[in-house]
Amino acid sequence: MAKEYVSMRNLRFVLHELFQVEKLTTYQRYADHTKDGFDLMIDSAKQMADTLLHPIYREMDDNEPKMGEDTVHVHPDMRKIMREFGESGWIACQEDYEHGGQRMPATIYGASNFIFHAANTSAASYFGLTGGSADLIGTFGNQELKDTYLAKMYAGEWQGTMALTEPHAGSSLGDITTTATPAGDGSYRIKGQKHFISAGDHDGVDNVVHLMLAKIPGGPAGSKGISLFVVPKKRPVNGELVANDVKTNSFEHKMGMKGCPIAYLIMGENDNCHGWLVGEPHQGLKYMFQMMNGARISVGMMSTALSSAAYYASLQYANERPQGRHVSNKGQDGPMVPIIEYADVKRMLLFQKSIVEGCLSLVMQCSYYEDMIRVTEGEEREKYQMLLDVLTPMCKTYPAEMSLLSTSQGIQVLGGVGYCADFPLQQFYRDTRINPIYEGTTGIQAMDLLGRKVTMKGGKAVMLFGAEMQQTVMQAMQDEKLKPYAEKLGASLQKFSEVTMKLMGLAQTQEPEVFLSDATLYLENAGILCVAWQWLKQAIVVQEKLAAGQSGDELAFYEGKMYAFKYFFEYELPKSIGLVKRLMSDERLTLEMSEAHLN
Amino acid sequence: MKILVPISVVPDTTSKIAFTDGDTKFNEDGIQWIVNPYDEWYALVRALEITEKDGGTVTVISVGDATAEPVIRKALALGATDAVRVDTKPTESYVVAKELANYAKDKGFDLILLGKETISYNGSEVGGMMAEFLGFPFISLASKLDANGGVATLDRSTETGTEVVEVKLPAVISAAKGMAEQRIPNMRGIMAARTKPLTVVPASGVQGKTSTVKFGLPAAKSSLKLVDPENMDELVRLLHEEAKSI
Repeated sequence: MAKEYVSMRNLRFVLHELFQVEKLTTYQRYADHTKDGFDLMIDSAKQMADTLLHPIYREMDDNEPKMGEDTVHVHPDMRKIMREFGESGWIACQEDYEHGGQRMPATIYGASNFIFHAANTSAASYFGLTGGSADLIGTFGNQELKDTYLAKMYAGEWQGTMALTEPHAGSSLGDITTTATPAGDGSYRIKGQKHFISAGDHDGVDNVVHLMLAKIPGGPAGSKGISLFVVPKKRPVNGELVANDVKTNSFEHKMGMKGCPIAYLIMGENDNCHGWLVGEPHQGLKYMFQMMNGARISVGMMSTALSSAAYYASLQYANERPQGRHVSNKGQDGPMVPIIEYADVKRMLLFQKSIVEGCLSLVMQCSYYEDMIRVTEGEEREKYQMLLDVLTPMCKTYPAEMSLLSTSQGIQVLGGVGYCADFPLQQFYRDTRINPIYEGTTGIQAMDLLGRKVTMKGGKAVMLFGAEMQQTVMQAMQDEKLKPYAEKLGASLQKFSEVTMKLMGLAQTQEPEVFLSDATLYLENAGILCVAWQWLKQAIVVQEKLAAGQSGDELAFYEGKMYAFKYFFEYELPKSIGLVKRLMSDERLTLEMSEAHLN
Repeated sequence: MKILVPISVVPDTTSKIAFTDGDTKFNEDGIQWIVNPYDEWYALVRALEITEKDGGTVTVISVGDATAEPVIRKALALGATDAVRVDTKPTESYVVAKELANYAKDKGFDLILLGKETISYNGSEVGGMMAEFLGFPFISLASKLDANGGVATLDRSTETGTEVVEVKLPAVISAAKGMAEQRIPNMRGIMAARTKPLTVVPASGVQGKTSTVKFGLPAAKSSLKLVDPENMDELVRLLHEEAKSI
């Protein structure tokens, strides 16, 4: 097991030097917090991860959950982990005081989540899902639902899930067929099947509470007829928990994330599955998307976390592994040198570092917008909401897609042993493979960005976002050392703007399939620009710190940042040139060809 | 029971140690500071366990400048009742012990419980000196502690076995591994720490009696040692003395 999986120094840089989270305490919602308190929270998160999560990361992979008679048996520590995270206040931490929360800012929670997932992403998913689904009940549920479920979920005694997908309807939720029929007693009878339900059943808790999408018969067709229900595995009746006709039919054997089972559920085989409506009928998708948007940002964070764990594992190996001698050593004599001394290994490590620290900054930017939405009102709030809406597809997708390449480069640093089970790199690679798939695939995110976000509010949101990036470019132009990089990003943004204008023109004159056909490439280009923007923001701060004078490890830290910043601009940003070329082309291969050409 | 827990603020265990000013000063640039683990994990946690069971207060005290306050807040987040900072730079054990004793002498503490040593200078000196200044008995290296009825009963683990000791309170006791299990601050504790009292008292101006002539780092350990397959004695010696695995 590698010694480290995150850099606490870099986290402090992101929180305090880049985003200056202490300023959040000037707002009334966060007035009870202090900078020291934020640091204590982050340090406590690291201690929780070090003692509870990280030691069993591999064990949870080696020992997959097992199907029991009436539940799924997971790693025996999961019960303790759920309780500890509940009792110590982590599951409810972002909530208001009346729900047992501490109003933790999204920025601090995001940083903590980064630590938890880097330590053990399977284990962290259990309590992360519980917090998100409890928040949904707290926001849209009635008092009875809140009284019945929240305390147990926030205590880690009951698991929470998101139950959306069905065997025939994953990305196309409008086609779900699970039904909820009014029972006349205020509850509904649920009938149907759900697939891929993370932590959907296990023995680490006393009950599982599904936040489930279903259709009330007679409602509107498609996604407009979807409602949200609380469907527990066991329903509370007069202080007792009784079986609620939710059967775990099976769970999948996955490539990664093996410690967290994804269940196949069958509801209502005996017509006795009770569900309770959350909020208003037919508003389910809207409600669920509150959790879904948060989940998408979390996926960006989880991907970055796994990239981080892979980076520090491969860095440790590169420091310790002696192999060969420098080419300039003509006699090829003397002791072998550690592989970190070779330029190509440095390149692979620098790639990983630029992805980890660039993506962390990008995801924290989203968390910062979430905080600003919570503390502002009126037009200002609307501005931050638009910025978050536009940035979310990039925040979810770029870290997820790049995590595949970044963890793969981690394996490459180790060579043959990276491919073997004795080293953790292969596990990071397998675990992160799900990230570009769940909570909306890359293709879905691309259509969300180009088909919805770009045109949202007459293009106002995307223009606002462009202005944010331009502001950073203008600021960097004032520094002679950063000016060449600012110019490069400015030019790339200009080209991207031309691409957007061309695609919008296609949208007005041709079928939507035409302008959406290469939406994934458009999203990829946007992701590169967003991380370049974040690196430029970091470089501005780093230049100030270097100008103030640094020595020893601090000097190495800031200089290392500048190398990663320059790497991103020299090696990654140029990729946008090729993407722009393709996006400006009128060749429509994927639309012109038929299925026969692929068969 | 009224317990005083002196805590030292020390560099995080992952810090890289370097010196300045001709190797006479510790380079504090970029250092993350933590509560000395022996003070936190064993002394403070056991003090909290005793007062949670039988009632009472736990006051943490540290000799240090304002930069020590975020670290002291962690002790409050773990559950200490209040905190005191003696406002001076801790230059040597004598100064620290004398300043702590000067504060504690008329406060009526039943028990003064601190870690067996700091992980920075490993002096193991403050507890004994403090007891002498206060006229209290001192018992070192306690790995188990119970205190009630004005008497403390404790186990001292030595290389040859265990010694059970009884001492009438007040007393100064130093805590070793085994006395308690590390706790992690919870959310409520962290939020409560902000408003718990942290009193700053001026130092009484104790002058040190020693000065550091020079610091040095231990010789770097080689990551790989090759042992002749015929020389099993050397292998056993290395595993025992250096790797400490047998």
